[in-house]
Amino acid sequence: MATSWRQHLYHLLLWLIALAFFAPVLWIFLGAFKTAGQLVSWPPRWVTFSPTFDNIREVFARENFWSYFRMSFVLSIGSVLIALVVSFLAAYCFSRYKPTGTNFLMFLLLSVRMVPAPAVVVPVFLMYTAFGWARTFTGMLLFYVMFSIPFSLWILKGFLDGVSLRYDETALVNGGSRLHVIFRVVLPQVKPGLVAAAIFNLIFVWNEFLFNYVLGGEATMIPVLLAVGVNSGGSVDWSFIASLSLIYTLPPIIAIFLFQKYLLVGMTFGTVRGEV
Amino acid sequence: MAQLETQLDGVGSAPAGLPPAETLAPPRLRGGLRALDDSRFFPIFLLTPILIFFLVWNVIPLLWLLGLSFYRYKLTSSRAEKYVGFENFRDIYESSALWGTLGRTLTFMVTTVGLATVLGVGLGLLFWGSTRMPGRRLALTMLFTPMVLPPIAVGTFYRLIYDPTFGVANYYADRIFGRTFDFLGDKDLAFPAVIAVDVWMWTPFMILMTLAALGSVPKAELEAAEVDRLPWSKRLRYIVLPHGKFILMLGILLRTIDAFKTTDLVYLMTNGGPGKQTETVGLNLYRTGFEAFQMGDASSLAVVTLLIAVAFTSIYLYVLNFRESRAQAQTGAGA
Repeated sequence: MATSWRQHLYHLLLWLIALAFFAPVLWIFLGAFKTAGQLVSWPPRWVTFSPTFDNIREVFARENFWSYFRMSFVLSIGSVLIALVVSFLAAYCFSRYKPTGTNFLMFLLLSVRMVPAPAVVVPVFLMYTAFGWARTFTGMLLFYVMFSIPFSLWILKGFLDGVSLRYDETALVNGGSRLHVIFRVVLPQVKPGLVAAAIFNLIFVWNEFLFNYVLGGEATMIPVLLAVGVNSGGSVDWSFIASLSLIYTLPPIIAIFLFQKYLLVGMTFGTVRGEV
Repeated sequence: MAQLETQLDGVGSAPAGLPPAETLAPPRLRGGLRALDDSRFFPIFLLTPILIFFLVWNVIPLLWLLGLSFYRYKLTSSRAEKYVGFENFRDIYESSALWGTLGRTLTFMVTTVGLATVLGVGLGLLFWGSTRMPGRRLALTMLFTPMVLPPIAVGTFYRLIYDPTFGVANYYADRIFGRTFDFLGDKDLAFPAVIAVDVWMWTPFMILMTLAALGSVPKAELEAAEVDRLPWSKRLRYIVLPHGKFILMLGILLRTIDAFKTTDLVYLMTNGGPGKQTETVGLNLYRTGFEAFQMGDASSLAVVTLLIAVAFTSIYLYVLNFRESRAQAQTGAGA
């Protein structure tokens, strides 16, 4: 009996810690359902307010919101899909043929993702301006493909190395073509890797700000709307900001709820495996 | 019709493993695919897409960057770029403001990674036995939320929370200290305030890595310790630490790299201010390039930043390979 009590207390403590980390987010989310007056009221209202959906409705009613929203979706999904195909083919080649320079190329690709964003924005900006790719949809899409490739490649290579060569050999001996081996025999076995790579690159592209701010143009996504809204000077429309934040940050949160078992693989680019 | 049937056959047996593949491709195509297949160009064919991306989006910009770092080039002036040799790099080396920024970034990295690690390991150990916790999935989602949030959104959140007149942080500060603070505007408070946010954002990541590290400890050894009634301090020291330290090390390294990258968060919270109190390397670079439009200076700064990042990545991969080769040696010895 005593252990059961201690168990309950322990679980309660864990829940409180989780809630403490979530509290700032919750505060903003609550703000989305308050009137402008209640949002900035002193003392703060955690529960004593009458929820209103006007703010959210107002965000949906803004004309440019939908174009930004659509762009966020199209760019993240489109670029991650292309990146997955490109990096899967490359990962298969690296894993099976081990061409000279494999490790070096993988290292270079990862390094590029470890550089502070502005150091990459500067040269890409210069190149895009010179080639006339800046502020175009294709330019932005292909940039995000490159942005997603390193992590996808690392995750998929890790998973492919875990698939035994026997599968390839057996399929080839039985008369399967190489392409058949790749797509019908090996691909189904690295599905978890594909899911992890897809989910986390989607989150990373969805969250990306700086490139989009500098190079976005016609392909501008929600973060820019948020940043401009906050930095506009003068009085900030906090109700709008809170509702927009709610809509914008909900997809990543739902994603880690649904795909929690890929969290570790995703956040470490496949270098650490396991479940939490 | 017959062809369709054989195709269906192929599809049906595919999950079972190894269907006769000839049935999948129509005869006409088969010749072409076969030729491609057996050719020694096949690996190159697989690599072509990634090489194109690598060439266009990495190699060309890198060369551009290297080239421009030797020029004086202002985006807004009509004067053509001028070759100045290593002058930009000498400027970086001699500029005290820049060393200040670098020093600040280093302080930022050490403090935020240190605090997040201490907190994360502590809480991670606490969460170790949470497998039977009710609503675990939801609780963990809430716990891990900060690290998947867009930095730009986090910046927005804390602009509201830290607000000097109606921010909720100030309400509690008022209750505790009896006065309010201008967290992001005060030159002594801005830096700690930004660090606090970064620690909040990334402690969950260290919890995640701690849990992964704990998960890598063999169950048998823990059970043996349980049987021997080994005290907790010794279990941590002799069983958990030797097995878990690599994953933890990888976590700390990843965090260090990430802290070095911090740009968006600071940009939205303080834009480097007040003064230059919170300006990180990334932000400094952004402002040099896109607010002062000094592309030459920005390029040479980017080259330096790139070298630092490459060094970090090498260390990370060194530790990773070290761990893998050790794991292989162990399994090799076991078999």
